[in-house]
Amino acid sequence: MIFKSSEWLKKAGVLGMNRRNAEYIMRCNPRSSFPLVDDKVITKRLAVEFQIPTPSLYHVIEYHKDISGFERVLGEQRDFVVKPARGSGGSGILLITNRTAEGFVKQSGNIISRADLAYHISSILSGIYSLEDLEDRALIEALIYPDQVFAAVTYQGVPDIRIIVYRGVPLMGMVRLPTRASDGKANLHRGAIGAGIDVSKGLTLTAVHGSEVVTHHPDTGNPVNGIQVPHWTKMLLMAARGFDMTGLGYIGVDMVIDKEQGPVLLEMNARPGLAIQLANRIGLWQRLERIDHAPSDIFATPVSRVTWAMETFADSYS
Amino acid sequence: MKRPIILLVEFLLVIPAALITFRILFLGYPLIPAAPKKTWQLSMEARIKGEENQTTLTVAFPYTDGGQRVVEEKITSGTLAFNLLREGPNQIGVWSGRVGKGEEIIGYQATLLVQPQRSSTFTPPTLEPYPENISKEVQTLAGHLVARWNNLEPKARLHAIAASCRGIWGEPRPDDRDLKAWSAWQERHGRVAALLVLLRAVGLPGRAVEGLLLTEGVTTIALNWIEVWTGKDRESLSPWTGKVYEKSTALLPLATDGLPLVRIVHGELLDIQWSLRRQIISQWRIHFERIRQSSHLLDRWSLFYLPSEFQETFRILLLVPIGALMICILRNLVGFPTFGIFMPVLMALAFRNTGLIYGIGIFACFILIGYVARRSMDKLRLLLVPRLSVLLTLVIVCFTAIALFGSKLGLRELMAVGLLPFVILTMTIERFFVLMEEAGVREGLRTAAGTAAVSAITHQILHWEALQLTFFVYPELLFAVAAAQVLLGRYTGYRLLEFLRFRKIRGSS
Repeated sequence: MIFKSSEWLKKAGVLGMNRRNAEYIMRCNPRSSFPLVDDKVITKRLAVEFQIPTPSLYHVIEYHKDISGFERVLGEQRDFVVKPARGSGGSGILLITNRTAEGFVKQSGNIISRADLAYHISSILSGIYSLEDLEDRALIEALIYPDQVFAAVTYQGVPDIRIIVYRGVPLMGMVRLPTRASDGKANLHRGAIGAGIDVSKGLTLTAVHGSEVVTHHPDTGNPVNGIQVPHWTKMLLMAARGFDMTGLGYIGVDMVIDKEQGPVLLEMNARPGLAIQLANRIGLWQRLERIDHAPSDIFATPVSRVTWAMETFADSYS
Repeated sequence: MKRPIILLVEFLLVIPAALITFRILFLGYPLIPAAPKKTWQLSMEARIKGEENQTTLTVAFPYTDGGQRVVEEKITSGTLAFNLLREGPNQIGVWSGRVGKGEEIIGYQATLLVQPQRSSTFTPPTLEPYPENISKEVQTLAGHLVARWNNLEPKARLHAIAASCRGIWGEPRPDDRDLKAWSAWQERHGRVAALLVLLRAVGLPGRAVEGLLLTEGVTTIALNWIEVWTGKDRESLSPWTGKVYEKSTALLPLATDGLPLVRIVHGELLDIQWSLRRQIISQWRIHFERIRQSSHLLDRWSLFYLPSEFQETFRILLLVPIGALMICILRNLVGFPTFGIFMPVLMALAFRNTGLIYGIGIFACFILIGYVARRSMDKLRLLLVPRLSVLLTLVIVCFTAIALFGSKLGLRELMAVGLLPFVILTMTIERFFVLMEEAGVREGLRTAAGTAAVSAITHQILHWEALQLTFFVYPELLFAVAAAQVLLGRYTGYRLLEFLRFRKIRGSS
């Protein structure tokens, strides 16, 4: 039974956790480059250098004594996002749409008092959300108003798009859609759903919810497949350039589509999860192998890598 | 798999294999250190009275050979001087000194390890010429008597001679004159000497042995028998009953080759007694005694040379890597989550004091209390480090309460709660809370159950005495454990739970 299951997963080209860690993350991602993606402040700086759009940074809070003064720095800006620089999985992120006398209006419409927000920031600084329980910094950046393309399949929150990039070649994508259960967070562990995206055309496929495959959004009831992702080729290019930015051979690039700016880079992940395979119902391993067997000239520029990927992976969606 | 990995694994496996083979083949280590062994406690006690001159008492002691091993000896010598001599295979204790007017009690105690005979360590005796005091005539006479048996199998020859002890010479009977002359000679020199001459005449090596029957009890008289080598086996022949002992009869030889068992010069032996007691001594003792007697480098660098209180620690420590290996298996082969990486090992170590059932119970209790406390503390908005400190204080408060409770009930298991790893427990409470909040109740409980399961398995492994002993005697086995860990580290196949997770990938249905 075990042998048969193993053979079957291998044939489907599914990437397992052990292989991802040993053969891709450890082999392709030099440890010294991890801080480039683990710390969002550094990632943002890099993105600016490479002229990749990101949400504009208002302020970085590093010490507890600076918490009280952050509102002054914001000036007239009424909406913003608070996030830990080294957070993972979207934890510790707070979206504020407006400021009132009582406090701050969260995206859900609830109000968070000034004291509560200060406590939240102080929690971030003491490292609760950080990857290794280290002391952290809090980022205050521009709130993204997402393109309405996914509005019918989103429950509050901001849907984001994850593209896996291997040796600079984008190979698989999904859009993570918040649900009521995920509390507006685009995090699969918390109950958001992830819809696969046809790499060649930018059309959404079915989605994964937990470990189940679903065709409709659990809260809005609308079908998740067949949505054309705008700016798709541009996003593939941004993702492909993530490799040139960081030198990391195996990354997940997370982006959101802003109503006005178009796609912006949120963060990159040096240990991207495996659930994207369920969202696409296609194994990552088979595509990774195909990239390893690709002619070397396709790796020349981001454009050549994206073109190759869009052509090569078109056959998987018949 | 890559070549350096294979080389490393081979290297890690060759070291223990070579060392263990060496120990077994050349240092006489047991193949399985934990095999049950019969041990006997022999004690001898003698009362002697002295004369004017210096009194000397010699007593034959048990010796180590293929079938038995003396692992521990203790001498009581009173005011006398004691000396240990070796004579051939024999071990002889010599007490000497002036006893004076009163009596002197001397004693000897030994622990004997009786093991199934190992032919590899036993060199078969060769047929030696007749002793000098046997005249040519006697040799010829004996030759006449046994002439008819010379063509028989060695075993049959032995049995024919045994029968002659009982006066059965078989048909055709030897010459009556020869028989008469033989019984006259036997009369003068004793049955044992006569039998030895007959055995020599049929070409069977034999020797006289004095010793004890290995049964529990006290005896004042030793037993005589003749040990005969039939080419394949050692047989024991009783000269008095003319019977060959069954193989199952265990005999303990003390003095051989005509050496007297006890001899006293210038004194009087008032009484002497031997007592034998079957004993269960721990495996640890046996190895300890054996290794202490050896002068080999590998033996002198044994863990048995540590003071006993540190030995205790190492018995457990040597098994901890196996616990870590279990965690590797559970996480990388099965894909089951645990809190922290080595938390289950620490829990398993603590369970040694509380016991498994109480340990798991207390663990569950702490997680529950901790969760409730952490939840209510969330509203207080304490900073990370102070918050963890509060949790730590709570854990210690619970320790105290449980210990006091245990003391009221007289339950040692509850009082041992203080040995649980409290820092780890505190961190686990925090992790459990975060996991419940972020990943949901199911994930939280699953991880808690995984942690408890690995702790329980690890505890059972650490508890296994045979394994403790094996690793203690052969600490080089740690390299083999490392080899398994290296191999697991390069396992890039699927985890068991991934079969379940990815069953919905295209092509499955």
